[in-house]
Amino acid sequence: MITAGVDIGSTSSKVVVLEEGEKILSKVIIPVGAGSSGPARAFEQSIREVNLSREDIKRVIATGYGRNTFTGADQQITEITCHARGVYELVPGVKTIIDIGGQDAKAIGIGKGGTVSNFIMNDKCAAGTGRFLEVMSRILEINIEDLADLAASAKNEISISNTCTVFAESEVISQLSTGTAREDVAAGIVQSVVGRVAGLVKRIGVQSEVVMTGGVCLNWMIIKVMEKELDVPVIASPMAQLTGALGAALLAFESAS
Amino acid sequence: MPEKLTSRNLLNQLQTRHYTNAYAAKMKGQLVGWATSIFPQEFCETMGLTVVYPENHAAAVAAKRGALPLLEQAESEGYSVDLCSYARINLAYMKSQAAEIPIPLPDFILCCNNICNTLIKWYENIAAELNIPMILIDVPYNHGYEPTPAAIDYIKSEFGECIRQLEKITGQQFNQERFQEVMILSNENSRAWKRALDLNQAVPAPLNGFELFNYMSQMVCARGRQETGELLKLLIEELEEKIRLGKSCYEDGEKCRVMWDGIACWPHIKHNFKAFEKNGINIVCSSYPEAWVLLYEPGNLDELAKVYSMIGNNTCMEYQADKREREVKNFKLDGILFHVNRSCKVMDFMQYEQQRLVAARTDVSIMNFDGDQADPRNFAAAQFETRLEALMEIVAHNKSAKKSKEVTNNDPA
Amino acid sequence: MTQLKDLLSVLENVANNPAQVINKCLEEKRLMIGCAPEYCPEEIVYAAGMLPVGLWGGSTSIKNANLYFPAFACSLVQTTLELGMRGVYDRLAGIIVPAHCDHLKCFGQDWKVAVPQVRFIPLAHPINRKLEAAVEYLKSEYFRIKSVLEEIGGKPISDQALSEAIEIYNDHRKTLREFTTIARDYCTTITPSLRHNVIKSGYFMDKLEHTQLVNSLIRELKKAPPEEWQGKKVILTGIMAEPNEILDMFEDYGLAVAADDLAQESRQFRTDVPQGKDPLEGLARYWSCMEGCSLLYDPQKNRRFMLKTMAEESRADGVVACIMKFCEMEEFDYPIYKKTLEEAKIPLLYLELDLVTPSLEQVRTRIQSFAEMISRKR
Ligand code: SF4
Ligand code: SF4
Repeated sequence: MITAGVDIGSTSSKVVVLEEGEKILSKVIIPVGAGSSGPARAFEQSIREVNLSREDIKRVIATGYGRNTFTGADQQITEITCHARGVYELVPGVKTIIDIGGQDAKAIGIGKGGTVSNFIMNDKCAAGTGRFLEVMSRILEINIEDLADLAASAKNEISISNTCTVFAESEVISQLSTGTAREDVAAGIVQSVVGRVAGLVKRIGVQSEVVMTGGVCLNWMIIKVMEKELDVPVIASPMAQLTGALGAALLAFESAS
Repeated sequence: MPEKLTSRNLLNQLQTRHYTNAYAAKMKGQLVGWATSIFPQEFCETMGLTVVYPENHAAAVAAKRGALPLLEQAESEGYSVDLCSYARINLAYMKSQAAEIPIPLPDFILCCNNICNTLIKWYENIAAELNIPMILIDVPYNHGYEPTPAAIDYIKSEFGECIRQLEKITGQQFNQERFQEVMILSNENSRAWKRALDLNQAVPAPLNGFELFNYMSQMVCARGRQETGELLKLLIEELEEKIRLGKSCYEDGEKCRVMWDGIACWPHIKHNFKAFEKNGINIVCSSYPEAWVLLYEPGNLDELAKVYSMIGNNTCMEYQADKREREVKNFKLDGILFHVNRSCKVMDFMQYEQQRLVAARTDVSIMNFDGDQADPRNFAAAQFETRLEALMEIVAHNKSAKKSKEVTNNDPA
Repeated sequence: MTQLKDLLSVLENVANNPAQVINKCLEEKRLMIGCAPEYCPEEIVYAAGMLPVGLWGGSTSIKNANLYFPAFACSLVQTTLELGMRGVYDRLAGIIVPAHCDHLKCFGQDWKVAVPQVRFIPLAHPINRKLEAAVEYLKSEYFRIKSVLEEIGGKPISDQALSEAIEIYNDHRKTLREFTTIARDYCTTITPSLRHNVIKSGYFMDKLEHTQLVNSLIRELKKAPPEEWQGKKVILTGIMAEPNEILDMFEDYGLAVAADDLAQESRQFRTDVPQGKDPLEGLARYWSCMEGCSLLYDPQKNRRFMLKTMAEESRADGVVACIMKFCEMEEFDYPIYKKTLEEAKIPLLYLELDLVTPSLEQVRTRIQSFAEMISRKR
């Protein structure tokens, strides 16, 4: 049986196609998300790659921020449940998941059999989300992917005291205009985001193994700082941004069989 | 020759002693209480109890830049970031006792909601978490200009209840004679405090208004004590001397007399201070320290109830506007800087209308800025500086417009 | 069955279109008095022959109220002031505003200036409500309100009228208690949002009429055997569970309401006004008897135990904390009962609600995740 998981984030769409709940047939990431043609294109591409058609797929589950806007799915399940399922498959010892998405940051507690025992999401403001990193990278005039490398070379990390994006923006600009080194500012930005998210994780209680998912976990510097904040090792999910789509495909398989 | 003791030195000594004494008392097995900043201290002082003030402590922690870890700790326990930062700091401290200045944990707590109702929720949590008795003196919000007779009766009955509870907690009798003495002393200190504050009506003002926040700590923590009287006496002498010499507290004189409305931004106080200096703005008074001027006829419990009920935050729109109007006139203010304090809803949510009322009744210039008394994250230096410059521009403009009317008066008292 | 549907649609219609009922009131030349959250002595208004109208804000954007409030005031006071400034409440002869929290203290003072056309009738409850002196004091507050209403209505309010009003209100409370108990057994018919609307409609109707309608509803419900419920059940706690869309989301994800601990709902009718010779004293004493609300002084935080018992007794699968953003009264209680519920292994969802900028998609994700979580658990 073939199933698929479609994870529609605010800035990207991810698809995993799965055979018998075990073998990954294809995986696709397209850097446009909810509200665009991205999800449909990603889905099309993922089945075309393996010469399948929609009819060959027994069940499709959509997840993520834009899950309710994707018409091609049989069911919608939230990214909380899907990430839990996906990570449990990859790291069976997982107890805590951290996911920093574009709009939301979340901490998930995992109980027996990979079920969600507790979860918490950030409040409305952008502090501690991918969005914050994005805005700040723009001010530093770098790609968000390069933020980690820049931050790693910091000599005198500054602290960004504001968490409000608007205030923090002006704080960063004034730091830069008074001659603070860009790498020191970058390190401050990473620290600020990690500090906020670590607070969320502590609210549900930190238990090892701690796994980080989402695109931000490719940012090794964030993992490193998070380890320091939480005082436990943090593992990057082996499938990074695709973890949620994998979970959705697995859940599709389980509910279809 | 030993250096002459300045009021500033004495203040530091007294404040340090306040905290070390509290710790020592706890070590000796004595009961220690926590109280809200304008709790009728007359009752616990009469009983000779050791009491520390979490708001004062939280402010001190924040001024020493120690707030952030505690704030984050509170958040990780589930406290919303929107709550008063004093409460968040204190509730976290209660659990971890992680602060540069330690205070002993309480055996009982005393709460009076004359500044806000937030305090009640905060103190409930302390009582529940530590499982200790809480004494609440509720002063109903004065939606009229003054407390009603029924409200006074209710508050007086709470005084009685407070005494009964204190007797129960300590196992000691409440001594009426001592109570009278404490009331007399407290009034003397309040009068002296008022005198000190009013001396800043002089032009130029002898004291930087920010200093008021420091001296205020002593009024919060020990307004029924002898040593506070000594401190205030010294302070008044110093101020009078400066007035006699016509000295301004700023080197290049005073360009602009401003009232700081609200609590200080403790984590950024140095920055604020420098920004004022740079702009030649002198903070000559603040709406806040005056709250500890509590004058009543000693022994008259009706008045005691009334004065504790009529703290600025607990009064209606007209009362607050009248008070601000008086301040503008008495202190010859050019401007008022309103702190839109993210922590303190009760001070903020009438503030916009207050600004309009005061502007309409006087010719004072008004500016506000966003900040927080103890959460360093809710303040933007750039915004603050821009607002100050704008205030200066408006004041300069207004001043030149009314130049002919300017009055100077060197003897405020 | 059609009878049942009709009743439900009547009540729902009132809850969603209070203006209609209010227009009817105007035709009948009956005066109306607004009652701001959370606890007002509606019985006095009723005894004056006027209609008490509950004002609980509404989903709207802020265009005027920001002249008085910075953005961090709770949306109940923000939107109520906004609607007042837009003239929505101009037909009210007055508004009673209690001072339970810092937001409401200021709201009342701001109202006085911002909406001068609707007379401001302030009220400050005693917080040390267990003291005998508190009853005396509150009685004096109620006496003043009574005088104001007498002046507005142009006629005295007799003790007899007061006693009758109390009886009508106690009857109403009893009926709503019965309704919430019955609703638990008919989760398919009484969806979360219908449940809410049945209760909410009472804020815009004569309580006598509302009691009758709800009683008929209960009778009609009982005609059918209790319904089997496949989904999960939760308890709602907090000030209120609005904006309306969120209750539909509960339904979408198979969650029914087992019981509520909301200020807008059960907290209003958990306790009866004690009967006695002096009706005004009875009303004042009522306040001393109430328990289990974030606005009621509670140094032992008994609310946490109450919630736990409620969850166990109603066999709920979880508790949803409906936290009005910026409401410190509720926000302070949360970490305390969170601990208690966690220890009892009762799942808890923190749902931050906002009437002004509701971010419904975020709320949806939380509700759906919670539903998935408790369904997979058992
Ligand atoms: S800062 Fe404001 S809210 Fe906080 S304790 Fe003081 S008066 Fe209350
Ligand atoms: S919701 Fe909370 S903050 Fe708003 S009025 Fe009610 S008690 Fe006050």
